[in-house]
Amino acid sequence: MDLRRVNNTEKLAMCRKYFFAGFFVLPFLWVVNSVWFFKEAFRKPHYTEQADIRSYVIRSMIGAVIWLAIIITWVIFYQTKRVEWGSFGDSLLFIIPYGSA
Amino acid sequence: MPSEAIVNEGSVEVNSSARSRPQVQNPPRTNNTSASSGEDEELMYGAKHVIMLFVPVTLCMMVVVATMNSVSYYSLEESSNFVYAPFQDKTASTGTKVWQSAANAGIIMCAVIVMTVLLLLLYKYRCYKIINGWLVCSSVMMLFFFSYMYLQQVLRAYNVPLDYITVTILVWNFGIGGLVCIHWKGPLLLQQAYLIMISALVALIFIKWLPDWTTWAVLGVMVIWDLVAVLCPKGPLRMLVETAQSRNEAIFPALIYSSAMVWIVTMADDGGHSKKNKKRKEGEFDNDVEEEDDDDDGGFKEHLANGVSGNSLEDSAAARSAFRALGDMTQGVQQTNLAFSENYWDVEDEPTSQRQVIPEGATGREPTEEDNAAAKTSKKKKRAKPAGGARQTQSERQRRTAVPAASEDDGELEEEKGIKLGLGDFIFYSVLVGKASSNGDWNTTLACFVSILIGLCCTLLLLAIMRKALPALPISLSFGLVFNFATSALVQPFMDKLNNEQVYI
Repeated sequence: MDLRRVNNTEKLAMCRKYFFAGFFVLPFLWVVNSVWFFKEAFRKPHYTEQADIRSYVIRSMIGAVIWLAIIITWVIFYQTKRVEWGSFGDSLLFIIPYGSA
Repeated sequence: MPSEAIVNEGSVEVNSSARSRPQVQNPPRTNNTSASSGEDEELMYGAKHVIMLFVPVTLCMMVVVATMNSVSYYSLEESSNFVYAPFQDKTASTGTKVWQSAANAGIIMCAVIVMTVLLLLLYKYRCYKIINGWLVCSSVMMLFFFSYMYLQQVLRAYNVPLDYITVTILVWNFGIGGLVCIHWKGPLLLQQAYLIMISALVALIFIKWLPDWTTWAVLGVMVIWDLVAVLCPKGPLRMLVETAQSRNEAIFPALIYSSAMVWIVTMADDGGHSKKNKKRKEGEFDNDVEEEDDDDDGGFKEHLANGVSGNSLEDSAAARSAFRALGDMTQGVQQTNLAFSENYWDVEDEPTSQRQVIPEGATGREPTEEDNAAAKTSKKKKRAKPAGGARQTQSERQRRTAVPAASEDDGELEEEKGIKLGLGDFIFYSVLVGKASSNGDWNTTLACFVSILIGLCCTLLLLAIMRKALPALPISLSFGLVFNFATSALVQPFMDKLNNEQVYI
C-alpha cells in the first residue's frame, strides 16, 4: 500500500499496531515499522500525528537494535560453545551437520 | 527425462514470429511521456508494464532454479506418492509412462476443476468468511510450514548447524511478517517480495512431489484449462469474475501480484492537453491470498501424511486458476480493473458526479479518450484476482474521469496504472523452468526462461489489443514446453558435438 494515500490518523494507527505487534518476539515488524514510517516521522513537514509516529518509530528502532544484539550474541555464543556443551548443545540443533566437530 | 521429439520447424516459425512481434510493436510503446494525450492512452500500457512484470517473474524463476541446483532435496524423487498422482512407476516402459502421466494429469485436472467450481459456488452464495478463512489458512501453511521445510533443506545442503531457538525466531518472524503484509497492510515492496517467495516455495513443492512426466503433462493440461476457464462463456473463472463485476466488489484479497505505476497527471491549463508524466513506479501486490491456499488446505486434512502438497496441489491449482480467471474476467469486464489493494483507494469517495465532469469538457480531452485510457488501465491486469478487481475498476475509472476535474483545481493528480498477474502464473512458470533446470542443462533452462518471457510479452500485447481478461498461461507455457523439448532433444546434442570437435559458432 502506498502511504501517500493514507490519511494521518490511519498512519498513526498502523504505526501503533506495528509497534505493539512487535512485542510478541517479532523484531522484524519493528524493523519494517521503523523503515516504512521513517520518512513519515522525520522527513515530512509537521502534522498533528507526527510526534506520536516519531516516538513509535524511535521506539521500534531501539527495540529492533536490542533484538538484533540479542540474536547476534546468542548465535555467536552458541556456534562457538556448541561443541563444548556436548549433548545439550546437540539437543538444541535444528539439523545435525555431518563431519567431525 | 522426456524424450519426445518436437518438430523443430514449427517451433522456430512460432518463435520467430513471436519474437518479431514484440520488437516491432514495443518500441513505439516505450514513449510514455509523449505530450499528446491520445497517444498517451495508447502508450501507457506498453513496454514499461511488461518490464514491471518481467522483474518479479524473473526473480521467482531465479530463486527456483538456484534452489533446484543447490539443494538436492527438491530434485529427489520420493518413494511415497503424491495423493493426486497415484501412478508412479519408474521402471515402466515408455508407453506405460505416457498413459500413467496422462492419468495423473487428468486426476489433477479434475481436482482443479472441483476446487474452482467450489470457489465459484462459495463466491456466488456470498460465503465470504469461508473464502477468507480458507485463504488465510492457506497462507499460514505456506508461510510457516513450507518456509520451515525450505530452511531445513537449505541448511542441510550447506551443512550449517543452527539451533532451534534461532530457527524458531526466524520462521516466526518471517511468517507473521508475511501474514501482516499480505492480509493486512504493509509496504508494497515487502508484499511483492513475499508473493515472489511464496510462489517460489509452491513451485518447488510441485516440482518435488509431481513425478517426472506428470509434471509436463500437468503443464500441458493447465494450458488447455486456462484457455477454457477464462475464455469460454461458461468457464468457471469467467463466471466468477462476472459475478464479482456485477456485484461491483473486490473479490479475493490475495493471489494476485499487481504492480502499480504511479502517474502524475498534470493539466497545463483549463482545456489544455493533459500531459502525463510517469513519476514513479510502485509495485503493488494484492497478495491477500496466495494460490497456496490450495496447499494450505492440505494442512488440515489427513492427507498431509502423504506429503506436504497432498491437497494443496489441487487447492492451489484451483485457487490459482480461479484467481487468474477472476483477474482476467475482472479486467475484461470492468474497464478499470486494476487490482489495487483496497486500502489504496477510497472507492467510496469517487462519486458519479465526477464522471459528469468529463462531458463538461473539463480538459481538452474527449470522454472517449478517458474511456480508452480507463480501458487500457484495466486491461493491464491480466489476471486480476477478484480481490480488488471490481472495486478498483470503479475507482480507477472514476479516478481517471476525476483527473480532468481535479487537475483544474490542483494542477496535479496522481493516477495509478498497473499490471496484475496471478500468482498461479508465477508458480507454473517457475515449475517449468525449475523442472527444465533440474535436468542439469543450462541451455534448456535459458531457452525455457526466454520463451516464457516472450510468451508473457505476447500475452500482454494481446491484452492491449483485445482489451479483455486473458489467461497468462497458454502462450508462455506452450512456448516453454516446446522450447524445453526442442532444446534438450536437438540443440543440446548439437552443442555437445560442436564442443567435442572444438568448433565455435
